[in-house]
Amino acid sequence: MDQKVMDRRRDARDREVEKALYARREKIYPREVHGLFAYLRITAVVVLLGIFYGLPWLDWNGQQSVLLDMPNRKFHLFGLTLWPQDFLYLAFLLIIAAFSLFFFTALAGRLWCGYACPQTVWTEVFLWMEQWVEGDRNKRMKLDREPMSWHKFRIKATKQFLWLTFSAFTGFTFVSYFSPQDELFQRLMSLQLGPWESFWMFFYGLATYGNAGYLREQVCKYMCPYARFQSAMFDKDTLIISYDAKRGEPRGPRKRSANPRELGLGDCIDCTMCVQVCPTGIDIRDGLQYECIGCAACIDICDEVMEKMGYPKGLIRYTTQNAIEGKQTHLIRPRMIVYGLLLLGMMVALGYAVATRNPIGLDVLRDRNSLFREVGAGLIENVYTLKVMNMDDRPHEYRVTAEGLPELQVLTDRPTFTVRSGEVVEVPVRLRVPEDALGSRRADVTFILQSVDAPELQTSEESRFLGPMP
Amino acid sequence: MQVFDEVKEIPRAQRIISALWIAFFNAAVATAVFFALIDPMELEPCIPHFPQASRIGAYTIGFLLFWLLTAATSLFTITFLYPGKRS
Repeated sequence: MDQKVMDRRRDARDREVEKALYARREKIYPREVHGLFAYLRITAVVVLLGIFYGLPWLDWNGQQSVLLDMPNRKFHLFGLTLWPQDFLYLAFLLIIAAFSLFFFTALAGRLWCGYACPQTVWTEVFLWMEQWVEGDRNKRMKLDREPMSWHKFRIKATKQFLWLTFSAFTGFTFVSYFSPQDELFQRLMSLQLGPWESFWMFFYGLATYGNAGYLREQVCKYMCPYARFQSAMFDKDTLIISYDAKRGEPRGPRKRSANPRELGLGDCIDCTMCVQVCPTGIDIRDGLQYECIGCAACIDICDEVMEKMGYPKGLIRYTTQNAIEGKQTHLIRPRMIVYGLLLLGMMVALGYAVATRNPIGLDVLRDRNSLFREVGAGLIENVYTLKVMNMDDRPHEYRVTAEGLPELQVLTDRPTFTVRSGEVVEVPVRLRVPEDALGSRRADVTFILQSVDAPELQTSEESRFLGPMP
Repeated sequence: MQVFDEVKEIPRAQRIISALWIAFFNAAVATAVFFALIDPMELEPCIPHFPQASRIGAYTIGFLLFWLLTAATSLFTITFLYPGKRS
């Protein structure tokens, strides 16, 4: 085809997409689906929400298993206590999460969107409640067209009651990740919540209610950054949901007994079920579209229809662009290897860092006021401030020593000192060295901090010792 | 300019909400990094009339201030992207 014609077509398509992005939204009434992928999604919803709502109630060694205790600036994760100094781990974790997303997107498309994204998961639950109260797709559409009546009001009020209760519980659960769940529950029951806790409960509850009840697919279409850049991770070997146009076209209705080949028809009976079940309201038969969140509802429903018609399943199926074009699909390809290795490397690094984490921190600051002092008897003195951090979850007693120079004397106010869990203590330390032992203007010294009650807790830090010109 | 004409048709409410949403996202990141490095209780001596709030309160105020800042930036940007009314 002429390059100009192709360019013009692409421009026209781009404009369509742009127009759709800013068009007034029409409410979508997704039809209920049953089938393999619906089952997988229900499983994902139950497991993920089970974890979200259950974790705050789970104790670990007498401590809430996951508690991001922001008031006291420490995170408890299954017996591991992390302090703000461990922020690096969190950053690492986020990078790993991002790379997993890249990896699985390149491998299997929008798996995240279809099964695991909180937006999908909560929308699914809100839809269940809607279906349960208002009935199936046709009933819901009819109800919305009806003028307000006592009957309609009752149904809508019941739905709102369920939605609001569920949202409120969600808000409570969210805050209980940051404030101990049992105390929070007692304060809630006796109506003694603090203003900030109430604010975040309300905020998160409202966000759940709005996003899952009303915004729904609009979040994916307009608000989600991932939806906008996921195509960059796609290639011709990425798993996508696709309609087999070669097999399906020309589409058209026919009797079940009819032979489509004699009528000159493909396998698509144009029942529009795939459009009715779509939570984003697209027609998968128009090809791969940015709105498709890969939920596979259309696969389930189409398979059901194909079975009823006595045709083979898979007119709409998970496939790859290469497979559609009749080429071979490559599971292992440079992109997968690079993403995979990066991901693996980072996971190993994080695992190693956490396993060898030393819950003791030491910073050495030289006294800025004087480089050195002559304190008589041929001794040179340098003054330092040591910042000692105890990142363990119990208090420890520490002792400081130093090495690197002969006849080095370490003077502290007290021979040992105690640092409570999570505290940072400043310890003034003076080092003294005979002038003849120093030899040069500057020398390296190493401070060693060791716990008296737990000798395996030990760390060291280098600093400089300054003296006069020899 | 063609692209420009189409952009102009984005409803005002949608423009504002998209600015607020992106600002919210960035404010959350900024808050996390800022308060991981700085304990709000240590700010107390530095700021006169520091409110006697809890840490959670300080985090919330910090987040709202960050959001105010990021939202103001986005909103000013989209405001200036649109030409003033020609009369």
